[in-house]
Amino acid sequence: MFRLTAAEKEAVLLPELVELTEHHRAACLPYRRILDAVGAAPPYERVADLPWLPVRLFKTHELRSVPEDQVFRVLTSSGTTGQRPSRVYLDRAAAAAQTRMLAATLREVLGERRLPMLVVDSRSVTRDPTLSARGAGVLGMMTFGRDHTFVLDEQGRVDAEAVKGFLARHGHERFLVFGFTFLVWVHLRALGADLSRGVLVHSGGWKRLADQAVGNAEFRRRLADECGLTRVHNFYGMVEQIGTVFLEGPDGDGLYCPDFADVVIRDPNTWQEAPTSVPGLIEVVSTLPTSYPGHVLLTEDLGVVRGVDDGGLPGKRFEVLGRLSRAEARGCSDTAGDTVGQS
Amino acid sequence: MPHDATTHDATGQDATTHSNTTHSKTTHDVTRHDSAFLDDAMLDVRFPADGRVPVAELLSRVRGSLEVGDERVRDFLTAFGRRLLRPALARRHPELGSLGFFLRPSELARTVESLDREHVRVPRGLVLHIPPANVDTVFVYSWALSALMGNRNVVRLSPRSGAVSEVIVRTLRETLGDADPVVAASQAIVSYERSDAVTSALSAACDLRVVWGGDRTVTEIRRHPLAPHARELTFPDRSSFAVVRAAAWLCAPRPARVTTAEGFVNDTYWFDQAACSSPRTVFWVGDERDCESARADFTDHVERAVTARGWGVDAAMAVEKRVSTYGLAADGLAESVEFRGNALANVRLSAAAAAPRRWLGAGTFAHARLATLAELAPLVERRDQTMTHFGFGREELEELARGLAGRGVDRMVPVGSALSFHRVWDGVDLPAEFTRLVTVVR
Repeated sequence: MFRLTAAEKEAVLLPELVELTEHHRAACLPYRRILDAVGAAPPYERVADLPWLPVRLFKTHELRSVPEDQVFRVLTSSGTTGQRPSRVYLDRAAAAAQTRMLAATLREVLGERRLPMLVVDSRSVTRDPTLSARGAGVLGMMTFGRDHTFVLDEQGRVDAEAVKGFLARHGHERFLVFGFTFLVWVHLRALGADLSRGVLVHSGGWKRLADQAVGNAEFRRRLADECGLTRVHNFYGMVEQIGTVFLEGPDGDGLYCPDFADVVIRDPNTWQEAPTSVPGLIEVVSTLPTSYPGHVLLTEDLGVVRGVDDGGLPGKRFEVLGRLSRAEARGCSDTAGDTVGQS
Repeated sequence: MPHDATTHDATGQDATTHSNTTHSKTTHDVTRHDSAFLDDAMLDVRFPADGRVPVAELLSRVRGSLEVGDERVRDFLTAFGRRLLRPALARRHPELGSLGFFLRPSELARTVESLDREHVRVPRGLVLHIPPANVDTVFVYSWALSALMGNRNVVRLSPRSGAVSEVIVRTLRETLGDADPVVAASQAIVSYERSDAVTSALSAACDLRVVWGGDRTVTEIRRHPLAPHARELTFPDRSSFAVVRAAAWLCAPRPARVTTAEGFVNDTYWFDQAACSSPRTVFWVGDERDCESARADFTDHVERAVTARGWGVDAAMAVEKRVSTYGLAADGLAESVEFRGNALANVRLSAAAAAPRRWLGAGTFAHARLATLAELAPLVERRDQTMTHFGFGREELEELARGLAGRGVDRMVPVGSALSFHRVWDGVDLPAEFTRLVTVVR
């Protein structure tokens, strides 16, 4: 799943993505209108030449390339305040493909068998009727583990007994630890347990850790020192490209793209691809979105390619640097967040 | 399952609650009639001097008797305006220069003289102004005209108001030194975080409430009753457009086109094109060929003016513009979307009726063609405020205004004047609204 060099990947992905572009152009009217309006047309010489959609369009528009009666699942992201959630339409085939490819990607670090699983969260997040992104993330990952044990109790406090029991049962074999980056940082180190046989998979962004001036290097060093956790894999992904995860390599030298996906870092002034080590906006490309035009998406995340074909795995290795702030206008009719009433 | 990396962060945002004034929490459920409780609600005074007082005390402090066109207020306003025009200040904040120009003695005199003399004109009394948080100078226009009309005024300045408001308040205070004490006694600028208690107390006490700042604010403020005799002026969300006669553009000499393009850029980029009077759509009037070439030439001139003035947008705004313009295309409203760098985006609408009213990001212009000016009439909506124009005569504009019959469009001004404040605003004669008439028949 992480075998292709950058050049090989370009050669494999380009024709598939070009075909997907034409497929969606034919099958999704709003997408066709966008391409027509901006004048996007083949031939595309490189993956970076393909027209991209701003990912936020999935919040504002219904974009699907299958008839309504073939929609098998509609995924939604948890929208932040005042924003509609993204809606992603999957038909049966796309739903099956995303599950299969996600499993194949994670198999690279988890192995063939389902591992006993320690969840750094509370079981209650999976039961919320309006399932949060966090809850959905936990539920999704749970399919890759067994004997799920939650580190936090229903009140969000560390359940040391549960962890002790889990380690007594599984501490001698490989096990999976999953959680959101910030929760892992806060709760896992405090456990004082030996997790040296564990494989940690974590996601959710670095914003709150960055506020504490904790970066990935520090995160990995402290987890190794304090819990013996050395197999640590951060991942980056989004509901608008469900099934595609960019996974941190074993050496912690960056996020890697699975063979069916890639990233293009774009200079937000010229929109050209930025050279290695120059930050820009992250565009994610993936061959998985067949039922909606999400195969080439410009995110609102900033990132940087750290190197190409020079790390622990072949291909690009990149880093997510943070989120672009929302544009705000100075206009006179916009008083968002400034109503005078309401105590 | 993978998710948008940052949505998880939202889970932590519960911790950031809005800070409240000391008493607003406790008074939240209290009815308006429990006035003793409400009077305890605190606010911060910014003018005439800093201080933190209960709202009841503020209301008892704002006193003093002025007359319409009061000399003492005129002197204060002109002295204040002169300070705003000092080169260092006006260079740093050009909008203060415009404000200073508005406050020159001749303009104030014209304002007073424009009032009809058939009746005896008197102030309304206490006027409460609620300006928007994000256009720093609006509150001054509103307040200055009201003060000139002899009113006592309380201006609620948002705690999130910008740096320019700071400069304004500081300058007002500096000007107080040479002013008649009645100015300090009768005028107050205050600031408070969200508080129903304070807004209720101020609303109940005033004779006129002036609310600038959008539909949401207006609706929010209207929950707080006024005294039975009191009135309200609201300035809700508006949007604006430009109309250009293609043939006139093509015939105009180059210098005129350059100046007009610069004016258009000022009209639009100054407040990120989000000011209510900044045009969002440009209607081209004429036959198809003329409109095509006029629009192309106009766009070239606008692009040059944007570059010359150094207007740019940041990455967040660039993305915003992509989202909004691609969205128009997805909805079938845009035939073409063209970017000239990130600063200038042009959308050719599939139909003039599709003219977007909402904000599309700084420097995003929708274009549509009309065969005649009259075709504009059925497209106009209540929320349309300013029509900036080029190439039309006074008569046809007046005919259009009469034809619209109040369904929309409150200002028709030449391209370049969209942001110039005038005492008649949004269809309202502000000095007249700020006064009452006493009928005297002998």
